[in-house]
Order: sequence, then C-alpha cells, then structure tokens
Amino acid sequence: MGPDGAPGPAVPWRKVLWERQPFPDNYVDQRFLEELRRNEGIRQYRYWAVVKEAGFVGQQLSCVAIFITLWLYMEQSLLPPETLLWSSLICALLGYGLHQALTSRVESCGEPRTHLADLQSAAIFLSFTFGFSPVLKTLTESVSTDTVYAMSALMLLAHLVSFPYAQPSPPGSLSLNAALFASVCLASRLPGALHTFAMLSCALLVFALWPCLLQTLRENAPVHFTGVCMGVCIGGIVGLGSQTLGGAVLLTLALASVTLLCPFLLVRLQRHKDNIHGPWDEAEIREDLSRFLH
Amino acid sequence: MVLKIFFPQCCNRAESGLLVGRWISGHDSAVVLAVIHYPFIPGQVKQYIQQMQAQSGVELTVLGSWSLPKEGQESMESFLRDLSTIFPQQRWLQVSRQMGKMGFICEVVNRNQTALAPPILLTKKQNEEEEEKVIFVHYEQRKVMLSQLHPTESGDPDPNTEPSSELKQVFQTVARSQPLFFLDRYDDGPLKSTHWQSEGREASIIVELLKQASVPLCMLISWLLALWTWISVSSVSCRIFSLYPLRFLSSKLSTCVQISYRTEHMRTLSSPKPAAGHKQFMRKGNILVSFLVDVGLGILLMSWLYRDDHIATLANMLMPAADHVAKELEELLQWLMGAPAGLKMNRALDQVLGRFFLYHIHLWISYIHLMSPFIEGILWYGGLSVCLGLTFALSLLSDMVALLTFHIYCFYVYGARLYCLKIYGLSSLWRLFRGKKWNVLRQRVDSCSYDVDQLFIGTLLFTILLFLLPTTALYYLVFTLLRLVVVLFQGILHLSVDFINSFPLFAMGLRIFRPYRLAEGVKFQVLCDEPGTALHLLMEINPLKCSTVVQTYRTPTYSCYPRDSWAALVKKLFVGELIYPWRHKSTKAD
Repeated sequence: MGPDGAPGPAVPWRKVLWERQPFPDNYVDQRFLEELRRNEGIRQYRYWAVVKEAGFVGQQLSCVAIFITLWLYMEQSLLPPETLLWSSLICALLGYGLHQALTSRVESCGEPRTHLADLQSAAIFLSFTFGFSPVLKTLTESVSTDTVYAMSALMLLAHLVSFPYAQPSPPGSLSLNAALFASVCLASRLPGALHTFAMLSCALLVFALWPCLLQTLRENAPVHFTGVCMGVCIGGIVGLGSQTLGGAVLLTLALASVTLLCPFLLVRLQRHKDNIHGPWDEAEIREDLSRFLH
Repeated sequence: MVLKIFFPQCCNRAESGLLVGRWISGHDSAVVLAVIHYPFIPGQVKQYIQQMQAQSGVELTVLGSWSLPKEGQESMESFLRDLSTIFPQQRWLQVSRQMGKMGFICEVVNRNQTALAPPILLTKKQNEEEEEKVIFVHYEQRKVMLSQLHPTESGDPDPNTEPSSELKQVFQTVARSQPLFFLDRYDDGPLKSTHWQSEGREASIIVELLKQASVPLCMLISWLLALWTWISVSSVSCRIFSLYPLRFLSSKLSTCVQISYRTEHMRTLSSPKPAAGHKQFMRKGNILVSFLVDVGLGILLMSWLYRDDHIATLANMLMPAADHVAKELEELLQWLMGAPAGLKMNRALDQVLGRFFLYHIHLWISYIHLMSPFIEGILWYGGLSVCLGLTFALSLLSDMVALLTFHIYCFYVYGARLYCLKIYGLSSLWRLFRGKKWNVLRQRVDSCSYDVDQLFIGTLLFTILLFLLPTTALYYLVFTLLRLVVVLFQGILHLSVDFINSFPLFAMGLRIFRPYRLAEGVKFQVLCDEPGTALHLLMEINPLKCSTVVQTYRTPTYSCYPRDSWAALVKKLFVGELIYPWRHKSTKAD
C-alpha cells in the first residue's frame, strides 16, 4: 500500500474495514446499488382467500351480536331461562360430540384432554355460576344502568379487539375475561337469579367454547368452516333484526366492510407496497440455531 | 511568627513574680495559669510545680517573669534576666507592665541564642522588631476552667491524648490544672501566688455533706432496683410461656413502658461509679432534674385530684362519655347503612356489615356497664401512681383511652382486614384478568396461560370483588378516620411523656444561668492596640445555641429511633395494612 494520494485505478476499492485503503471511510463505488432488492418475500394475496380468512372476524362480531340478542330477549322476558338452559345444554352436547369426532379423526396431536377433565370443568362452571348467581344478581343493583351498559360495551369491544383470531384454541386471557366481565354485568340486570345463571352459561358457550370448536373446524374441515361462518353471520343479522332493525343494518354494514371491503382494500393496496432491501440492512442470521440448543 | 500568650485576667494586677503555665505543643502559644510572687526559693518552686504536675497531669513549667513596678521600686531588669538561668527554658518570657499604661511589654529570650551572644543584642523588643509579634489574649480563668468546648469528642475521651485544636488544648489545660487553684490566698505556704481564687472550702461544706449523704441513698435505691428487677425478671422467666400474654400486654401498655424507662434512669442515677466524662455527667444531671420536675408536677396534680373529690367526679363523667361515644357510633353506622353522602353501596353487604358492627357496639356497652361499679376504685388507686410523676399520669391516661376505645380499634381491624383482603384479591385477579401472574422466584410479573375454568372463576370473583369494593372501602375509611383520631390523641400524650423524659432540663438550665459552661467557640475583642505595646485581645466565650443543647443532650428514648415515614404510612393506609400505634415499642421489646 503506497502513501496517500489520488486513488489510482490500480487499487480497486474493496468493501472491507480491516485493510487500510486510500479512500475515505464513507466511500462507496458504482456497484453499491446493484445489490438493491425490492419487496423481498412478499406474499401475493388472492381476494377470496382473504375473504375466507376474514370470515372468522365477521363471525366473532356476529357472536357478540347473537349474545346481545339473547340478552335482549331475556331482559324483556320473551325468552324463559329454562328454554335457554335446555337449548344451551343441547348445543353444548352437540358441539362436544362434533369436537370429539373432529379431533379423533386426525389422530390427536399432543396429549388429549380426558372426558373426566372435561366433566370436571363443566361441573366447576355450573356449580360456581349457580352458586354465585344470587350474588351476581344483586351486585350491580345500586349502579346506574347506563354505567353498566357503557362498561359492557367497552368490555365487549375489548374482547373483539384482543381476540386471538389467528390461534383462538386456547382462548386469550384478556379477550375471554373481558367478555365474561361484560356478560356478568349484563346478566346482573336480568330479573331473576335463574336468568343470570342461564345467561352466564350461554356466555360461556358463546365466548369460551365456540371459538375452540370453530378452530378445530377450520383445521380439520375447511370446506364446512366457510359455511358455518356464513351461517353465524346470517344468524346474527337475523337475530338482531328481530329486535332492532337499525342494529341489524349496522351489523350488516360492519360485516360487509370487515369481510368484503377490508380484504379488497388489502389486495388493492398490496400493489403500492415498496420495501427495499440491500446490504445496508442489519444482519440476519438464517442458520437454524436449534441444533445449538441441545 | 506570632506568639500568642493566653493571660488570665485576674493576674493583671498581680505583684511581680514568676509566670507559671504551659507551652501548647505544636502551636506557638503559651497559657499562663498563675503568678508566683517574690520572695521564693527556686527549689521550692520547682518542687511545687512538680507536685502540681503529678496531680493534674499538665506539663507545667515556668514560662517567664512578670513585673509590675511599684512606686519607689527600682527596675529589676537584670534580676529578671538572671532568673532565666535558674529556670532553664527554651524560651523565656519577660512580661512587664509600666505605670499608667494599659498594655504589657513582652520580651522573648531564646536560650540557645543567649548562649552564643550577649543577651542585650538578642533580646527582641516588640516595639522595635517586627520579626516576632506577641498577642496577649486575656481570658477569664474561672469561666474557661468550667466551660466545656463543643463539639465534644464522641466516645470516651482519653485524658492522655491531646486534642488537635489549639483552642481545645487551651481549654483542657485550664480545666485540668484545677489543683493549682486550690492554693489559697490565705494559705501559710512557702509560696504566694495569684490566680483565680475559689470561694474557699467552707462554702462547699453543704455540698460535701450532700455528697456524703448521697452514697447510702444511692445504695438503697440500687438495692431496691435490684429487687424489682429480680422480681420482674423471675416472674417472666419462670413461666415464660404461661405469662406470654402478660408480657405482650406489658410491652403494649405505655405505663409499663414508662416504668421500665424510669427503672433504667434510676439505675443510671444510682450507679456508685462517678460519671466518666462530661457527657455522662450531663446525662445524669438531665435525668435527675427531669425526674425531680416530673415528680413535682405529679405531686401538684395529685394534690388537685384528691382535694375536692375530683376523682369521683371524673369517674361519674366517664360513663356518660362512653355511652355518648357509643351512641354517636351507632348513629354513624345507621347513616352508613343508608345511602351515605349519596353513594350507592351494595345494599346486602352494607346491611351485613352494619349489623355486625352494631352488635359489636352492643357488646361493648354491656361490658362498660359491667365495669362501671369498679371504675371509681380503679381510678382512685391508679391515681396514686401519679406521685411517681406526671409522666405516669399521662401514660395511665393513654392506656385508659386505649382501653375505652377498644371497640373503635376492633372496628378498624375488621375494616382493615376486609379491605386488605379485597385489595390483595383484586390485584392478583387483575393480573389474571390480563393473563399475567406474579412470579415469586423472580419477583416479577410473568405472562401465563390459564385454563378456561381458571379464567372463568377468576373473572367471576374479580367482578364480584370490584363491585363490592366501594362498600368495604367506605367502612374502612370511616373507621380508619375514627382510629386516627384516637391515635392522634394518644400520640400527643406519648409525645408529652417523651418530652418530659428526654428534654435536657439540666443542660438548658446551665445554658440559661451559666452560659459559659457550654461553649461553642470563642470571640475576640480588641482591648488595646497602642503602638509600642503588644496587641491585647479579650477572649469571650460563645455560649452554645439552645437548639444544639437540646440536640446534644437529650436523653435517648424511643422517639429518637427512626420511624416510618409519612409516605410509608399513607401507603399502609391505602393498602389496608394495620397501622400499629405502638409498633416502635414492640420492635424495641423484640
């Protein structure tokens, strides 16, 4: 290496730091932008595939609507609690059977829950809910109805926002808790203790068990999954329409925007995506590190 | 170099003689302690000085000569110079005073130089030479002797080590050469000297008699104390398990704590050993004076109590007062069971809590009525303890308040426990609500995946606790306020007891009546600065500040120990932990 002087063509620039070169530190040569890459690893969405996936969000929205519809019926004493309880029980048994059938067909991965554990959980749910329903009945007696409604609305919104749509099988803590809190608040406004009990069992069914069943369905029978989502959405709209027409219209709009408009926007805007990658990115370790762990 | 000579004021007009004192080691200064007059025999002077040195432990020397010419007396300059050969010293001071002049003249003769050359040349006169200046600092011998320069050294001052500060050395020298001052003006000794004169030993006969009398008194007191200690210790240690509640109670009752304090104080007072060091002496004085004041106040109070049958009046007043308090509490509970301040409470829980507390008040009232025939007797006999001091009366009052407001304490404890349970439950369930948990091993919040049934039950409980919290919190708030009122009253009583126990009355008295006894420093005042004589300064003692006196000499009691801060107290109140008013005592007992 000669003394400092004008860089001659005899000394080519190399992108190394460990060698003393007659270039300033921030020097780059013409080859710099050759390594520019755009939109690396981009996934090209297809519209109907996205709509199908967004169906999960839509059916969760409808589930909330169905729950609210049921509560409205209960509050106006149009729906006796016994009917709700019996129908819940039948739904639960049917769903349980379906769940068992679906999981046994796939030769269960991991250790499956035994029937005894399921029975134990069911017993805990029922006994606690039944025992606490008189307490829950008087819990919000002195609290203003508006406050209770506002709290429930807030909690249901939190449930929808924090719901783990990608992996709902072990239900997310915050989403389930928010939904349960809202249902306790709503159930405490009902006229009787049995109403409260029925409402809470129903909430458990809708918010805790139904997503699990739907997830199994999505994994094992994707063809039926779309149909079920459609059915739930229609059920929600019809149910809400029987109580308030405005609510049904709003729900329809929301569902349309979530399942049709938002995927459309996603696919359209995908064209404008412009990510650039290059040698200036921070280092990325591609090697599989799991072999070092053992 | 400036030579400082500390000169006692009482020797200003002393007849001519020898200056006895000490050179301060490490500093260029000398302390004059006394003047020994002519005529004397040098051998006797040396012997006397040696004797004094052995008694006081101060390195006394003959510093030089002092001449105060009288009328008709010829100059003795040559004689004075000759004296320096009799008392061989490194430096020889020749201090003289002239008629009609304020200032002294000082000549410093360095011995090693006199040996080399004729003294007349090397005698340095201050008015001519500027090389070695002399400053006379006049001090009042008695005040300096009695005063204690602050800050004092912590721990046991070793009499053999010399303090570093010059001023401290001066003070110590004067204080320790006390035996020198016992030589009386009227003593028929071979030597006559001038220094500060004590008022004669006759004046202190009463003190001596008191000293003699105090020895058997102290022995009696210490014997009684030993007996008392033996009784209390043996009664505790023999049946330590069966008497545990008693011990616990005694650590909680302020009267018992006061008794233990007094016992300790009396033990300190009656110890046969003389006080070692200034601090110990002041401590004893403080304890004695505050004890005497305490007993005096107590006897005054007792004479008032037992004169016009005030005790019976008090006892008769106590019952209606307790009834009244109970009635007020009942009304408060009725108010809480309605809709207090427009707050919307959970009706069912409200009713349950209200009835529970009402029943408790009912129990309490019956207990008080059961007690009522005995209250006067208890007061009468308890009042006798007032002769032990006002602090006992106050402690007794505090204990009685504690016992009479026991129901409020119970309410507070129930309310606080309930509230605490709710707060802790809510905080842990709130973590469950968010899908987190408290990791005990790492002391942090970790995320955790719960089962559906755990989440369900947790949320159910969380909702219930959340909606019931305002009711509990209101009860807790009201009873905590009541409790705080009682605690405040007791705190005032405790503070006053503590004030009497720990206030350094003796030190304050010394500060007020003998300000020079506790010195913080000195200030100098120019006496005369005539040209031709040395600079004369008057040293005055700065008395210690009153706040410093209190800080330095207060007797340590429990209020001196560190306490919970206000923030910690507020936090405890918020979380619902019990605020124990007697917490510091219990920790001390542990």
